Parts: sequence; C-alpha cells; structure tokens
Amino acid sequence: MNDIVNVSLRRREFLALNGVAAGALVLAFSLPGTLRAVARLNKSATAVALNAFVEIDPTGQVTVLSPYSELGQGIYSSLCMLVAEELDVEMDAMRIRPAPAEPQYMLTFGGAMRLTAASLSMRDSFDPLRRAGATARAMLLQAAADAWGSPFAELGTEPGHVVHAATGRRIGYGELATAAAALEPPAEVAMKDPADYRLLGRTVKRLDIEPKTNGQALFASDLRHDTMLIAAVRQAPQFGAEARVIDASQALRMRGVAAVEEIPSGIAVLADNYWRASQALDAVEVEFGPAPGPVSSSAAYREKLLARARGAGIVAEQSGDVEGAFAQAAKTLEATYDVPFLAHATMEPQTCAALVEEQRCTVWAPTQLPDGVVTTAAEITGLPAESIDVKIPYVGAGLGRRSMTDFVAHAVTLANRHRGRFIKVIWSREEDMQHDYYRPMAAARFHAALDGEGRPLAIRALVAGDGPERRHAPEPDIEIDESVMEGALHQPYEVDRRIDYAFEYAPAPIGWWRAVGHSYNAFFVESFIDEMAHAAGADPVDFRRQLLNKHPRFVTVLDRTAEMAAWRKEPWQAEDGRRHAMGIALHGSLESICCAIVDVSIDDAGKAQVHRAWCVADCGFAVNPLAVETQIEGGFAMGLSAALVEEITIADGRTKNGNFGDYPILTAPQMPAMEVALIDSGEKLGGVGELSTPLAAPAVCNALFTLTGQRIRSLPLRKHRLNSPRTA
Amino acid sequence: MANLTINGTSYGLDVEADMPLLWALRDELGLTGTKFGCGVGLCGACTVHLDGRAVRSCVVPVSAAAGKAVTTIEGLSEDGKAHPLQRAWIAEQVPQCGYCQSGQIMAAAAFLTENPNPDNAAIRAGMTTLCRCGTYLRIHAAIKRAAAESSGTST
Repeated sequence: MNDIVNVSLRRREFLALNGVAAGALVLAFSLPGTLRAVARLNKSATAVALNAFVEIDPTGQVTVLSPYSELGQGIYSSLCMLVAEELDVEMDAMRIRPAPAEPQYMLTFGGAMRLTAASLSMRDSFDPLRRAGATARAMLLQAAADAWGSPFAELGTEPGHVVHAATGRRIGYGELATAAAALEPPAEVAMKDPADYRLLGRTVKRLDIEPKTNGQALFASDLRHDTMLIAAVRQAPQFGAEARVIDASQALRMRGVAAVEEIPSGIAVLADNYWRASQALDAVEVEFGPAPGPVSSSAAYREKLLARARGAGIVAEQSGDVEGAFAQAAKTLEATYDVPFLAHATMEPQTCAALVEEQRCTVWAPTQLPDGVVTTAAEITGLPAESIDVKIPYVGAGLGRRSMTDFVAHAVTLANRHRGRFIKVIWSREEDMQHDYYRPMAAARFHAALDGEGRPLAIRALVAGDGPERRHAPEPDIEIDESVMEGALHQPYEVDRRIDYAFEYAPAPIGWWRAVGHSYNAFFVESFIDEMAHAAGADPVDFRRQLLNKHPRFVTVLDRTAEMAAWRKEPWQAEDGRRHAMGIALHGSLESICCAIVDVSIDDAGKAQVHRAWCVADCGFAVNPLAVETQIEGGFAMGLSAALVEEITIADGRTKNGNFGDYPILTAPQMPAMEVALIDSGEKLGGVGELSTPLAAPAVCNALFTLTGQRIRSLPLRKHRLNSPRTA
Repeated sequence: MANLTINGTSYGLDVEADMPLLWALRDELGLTGTKFGCGVGLCGACTVHLDGRAVRSCVVPVSAAAGKAVTTIEGLSEDGKAHPLQRAWIAEQVPQCGYCQSGQIMAAAAFLTENPNPDNAAIRAGMTTLCRCGTYLRIHAAIKRAAAESSGTST
C-alpha cells in the first residue's frame, strides 16, 4: 500500500510539474520549458495588460496572447517576433499563451472568426500584432515622460527599457507597466520601416522547441486530474450511422470502468485508465444502425468522377477563343488524372478534454477553430457562448483536421452528463483513420490544342469532385466550389483556356487537408504542362518560362530553382550505379509561389526513390525564415507521402484502412535530402504551410516520365508497376 | 503488483500484468512525455528504453518490464541537464508539432548507444519512428550532430 500512496503522491508532483494544479486543472503554457515557467507564471499574476495582445509583468517579461494555435508551424515564436520588434524587447523576454475565445482575437477574414489555417495566422496578424507592440511601446514612453517630466519626443527605447539620452535616465518596461496601462492608448502609432527591422526577416530559434524535446510540452491527451475519467470511443463503422448499446454488463464489471454511454454515432467507455477503457470497449455488445447516406465505395466513386471528367461542367474560367483554337489545331493532346481520398493522420489522434460545471464549460481542445469549439459546446450544454472557455494546448499537428469539432462533441457530450468531472476522450488510431474528414478524391481531364510545332494554342480542362467548402457551407448551393477548383484556375501560364467544374457528391466525410484543392490541382496542371512540354520536344523549364512572360515573379522562382538544382532535362547515370532523372513543378497558392525539382531513381523493389529535392519559395517576406524553411520541408514531405503511398479505401460506406499498416505514411528512408531557398520579393505576405505540398506529386511523376517514359496519371505511385529506366 | 524501476525510481504498481507499459506510464504514473500514436507498435511515438534498448511501450506489457530498468523521456538526462541529443534537437530546431519527438529522441538515444558513429545510411535505416510533420531531415542532422559531439569531433 505504501507503494501505491507513493505513486499517488508522485502523480500530484507531476500534475504540479506539468502546470496542472491538482484541484484546478490550469493549463499553463510557458516558454521555454514548463518547469521554470511555473515559477514565472506565479509571478506574472501581477502582469498588466497594455492591450488585448500584450501583457508586461514587473520584471519586464512580456506575454503575448495568441489568437492562433501552435500546430508545429512555429506561429508562437513568429507572433512574439512581431510584438518584440515594435515593442522593442529581446526575444528572451517574450512568452506567449493562447488567448481566450473572445471577439477581439478574431483577426481572420476581416474580424469574422479565429482560425489557424492557410497561413492566415501570419498574414492576418502581421499588422495587428506589430501595432499592438508599437502601441504598448508608445504607452510606456508616455508613462516615462510623465514620471520624469521629460518631453515625449526626447525619449527613446532600448530593448526592454525607456531611455532619455539627454539625462542618461533609463527605466525598465516592467517598472512602467502599471502606469502605462492606465493611459489611453494612442489612436495613431507609427510602425517601423522594414529597413530598421532588428528581428523580422532574421532566423529566430523557436520558443516551443525545448519543451518538445523533454516531454514537458502539454498536449490535450496529457491533461490529468485525480478525478478524471478517460474515455475510449467506438463509432459506427459506416459514416454517420447510429450506435446502440445492447449489453454493457460485462464491460461495467471490468476493473476501473465507470460508465458505458452512447454518444452521437458511437459508444464510449469511461474508466480511470485509457487502456482499461479500450479493453472494456471490446466487451460491450453494440448494434450499429444503417448508414444514413448513400453507401458507396471509393472504386465506384472513382469511376463516376472519371465519367464526369469526360463530359462538360460549369465554366469556371474562360479566356480567348478556345473553340476556335481547337478548330484550327494541328494536333491535340489529352490526359485524364485522378487522386484518391487521403487521411490527415495527425500523429496525435483526435483527443479532447472537457469539464462542465453549473454555469460553465471548459474545453481543452487541440483546435484550429476555437469559435467552432464554442458553438459545439454551447449547443451540447445549453450554456451561452460566454460561458464556454476554450483552452488550446499544443496541437499534435493540425493539417486541417482540427478545424472540425467532432471529437470536441464527444468530450463535451460526456462531460455534460458527468457534470463536475474532468472527461478526456482519446480516439484510437483506428477511430482516427476511419472517421476522418478526408481529402476528397478528384479527377480531371485536360485537352490542349497544339500548332504544327507542338506549341499550345489553348487548354480545355474539367475538374470533377466535391469539396469541403460546399460540404460544410451553411448554404450548400455554391455554384463553383473554390475548394475543388483552387489551383486549377488562374494559373500564370499565358494560354487561352476554358476550365470547367463538375460536382459529384463524395460518399464520405470530406474536409480541409493541407493545401486543399491545390493538393491535387497542381498535380493535374503541372503534369499536363509537362506532357505539353514533351509533346513540343521542349525542355520543361524552358517551356514553362516561355509561357510565363507576364509573370516575372514565377520566372524568378523557376530559374532560381533550376539553377540551384543544376537542372538536367535528360536522365543520367549516377554514382550509385542507377539511372536518375529530374522532374520539375511550379505552383502558386495563397499568394505565394513555389517551385520544386526532384532527383529520382527506381530502386531494386521497383519503387520510386526520391534522392534530393530543391525548393524555392517566394512568400513575399519571411518573418522567421527558419519557420518558413521548416514548413517548406514538412509540407513537401506530406505531399511526397501522398504521392508515393497514401490512399484511403472506402467500401460498403466505410473506411477499410485501420492503422499505419494499411495506411502507410512517409518514413525517414523515403525522405529526400532537401535544399530550400527563399526569395524576399517584398510583395504582400503569402502562405507557407501549404505551399510546397502540392509540388511533390507532379515533380516526382514528371521525373519518372523522363526516367522511364511512363506517365503516371493516377496516385498513389505504389499502386503502379513502374517501368525500368530507359537506357542511354 | 508489478515492481517497476522507472528513471531510477522503484514503483510498486497495482495494475494488470497485461496493461501496456505506455498506459502504466501515462495514466498511472503521470509520465505523459511518452505519447500514444497507434497502439500497435507501428509509429514509435511511445518509444522508451528497457535496459537501454528501445521498445515501443504500447505493445510491451507491464509484466515484461518488471525487473528491468525503464527509461522515459523524462529520465533520459541523468544529471538534470539536457541530454546531448536534446541539445542537438534544439540546435537543429527539429520539432514541429512535437508529438512524436519524445519517441524520436528515445529511439535515437538507443540507436546511438549501439551505433556511436553511424553513417548516413545507418541513420536512415535505423530511425523508424514516424513523423507526420516531416522533420526527418532535421532528426538526421541532430543525430549526426550528437554523434559528432560525443566522439569529440565538431560538426
């Protein structure tokens, strides 16, 4: 027994160490390192807010309230940089914590919502967060001017201090914070000339790295409380079907089990330990109802899409006399492409914790959309939105999955029935795989009208599919679903075109997956551009450059990549004894431009091996080049993973894949060496997190064509038997 | 009652013999640095050491860990300072979301014990923990950095 007592005591210790107080379950995020942070957190109880985003404590430590979730993209550090630059403090004085779900933190879409996606975290906060820093600095200057009786204009700042050069006086921000907070914020405040930036545009090490190397970074699944019940769930295998508990008696007799419950489309077992809950879940006799929607398969849906691609759709983009061009074409080129459903497969399966009390609901959600968490929790509990407190731990990757709130509903539903108790729901990997909101399958057919020399006169294309925008819109009567068409429309190549959209309902839950429509449209477009280049007997780089005469930014990115990779249009015999070839892809998305070149061979098992990849990105201006580079690397890895191996198979209205055994993702040996370069064009900030993902598939398939003469038009690559390389 | 030695401390745990070590660590002892990723030993997020060898704790029953030295990410550094691999992880700015990184570091530590001077091919073949964020290149660089540091050469 003594041992058990000891364990219990140690548990409390860990609760405290993790910033989770035994009685209060407070999520304390502090950077770097939680241990030191706990002490700091206590101190910062005396911090004062200078505005919604900036708090300063008496020691001069600055805390930024983040409207955005740290998904691994480094946004916490980049937001601190924005404030630190204008406030004039060193980065080691900066801390950050998630902001509460309140309207002043809705910076996205013109103040409509709070969403961590599409790199909007940086694009929409670049001005407001710098302004928050500059405003706070002006208030600190005014407080010093008042205290010293000095003219405001004579004062300046050095990192963390207001200084008066004439008298040599100097005072820390921490000492001024309380007086400054009492002042009226200035209506107008000047922000720095980019030429004077001390931090922005320079590589700054991330603040969240250290706690992510020692196990101290807290994810939702790490929340603990002595009275917490941990839930394992099983949802009806067929999408949206109901589940009914027939007999829970055996499960209820199992050790540690507190309850067996029905939840929307599934059942849950609550226990004192996740494994016990999972074991008991297998012992529940459960009946699953029929699927409410059409029961179909991915194979049947693929055939439907390919059939749609052969017909006509709604015109989404048209320029020039396309019909005329085809009428006078010397020859035409045609190709049909398709891509499968994909899972997000975040390493942290869906998980959420919740506590519902008399007039309050607290949700610890790894979310990209806190507003959605509030809405979901308010609906379930009947509490007003103001009574819903959303706390956002570190998120075990977003990738678009965490903009849905299905897993939040599980936790809140159970917490609402067990009021006063902390409930934590953890999905198994199989639940996560089988109840995702998948990247939709899509198909496209492309035609080109060519002149006698093989030069393009016009392109006609149709993209068939279904998208999250239409599926999740309040009014699903969207004429053209941008989430299906983005990346197929408004491409920079100067060719007359007609691009059609055709809707075909996807028989599965679908959602936003990294790069959304771009994730497949770049494969379609850049494969076809490559096919056109080969049809014209042209170098794929030269061919693209000639079609980009009105888009110098694209040309710069293209040429820089070709130069960095030492582009080779012909296959070659490499030192490893194999034939290698390069492939290229170029794509613009979220107001940024990216180009990738890959070096590919075929291994002994007949699989494509990508040895090296070169990526050049122009996102306007890289606030933290380190964060941008890692997003380019990681984004490319996810795109390559999809190109090589990923495919969700649906049959009988349910997902057949279950775990990483039958849904493999990219492994370390499959990751190519990468060289990334950023171009600072000074243009408007563009997105970076999804920028390189769409490029992997077309670059690799284009390289394979050069290598083998085989054109891959349907992903993933692993379902194809690849030809042997052409010999010299 | 299972007697476990974890990070140098002995515990008597009243748990089922077939409870996976992962859930004894996480839910009984509060050692939450070790993560749940797949439950079937495929992803490696739950990697810990048993007598210095890397194991996937989601498929190791508590009974198999009894009498052996269990090391988790919380106990990797013996002296309270960062382990050379943790320092290398920071220097190379490896983690993105961070969820798999405890498992990556524990796998790397066991790997380096067995291969103190690995070449690139050995690192590529030896590191099998999955990372969805695509941090593989930085993991590779951090392992090389830590190996070089411990062998006294500079990177």
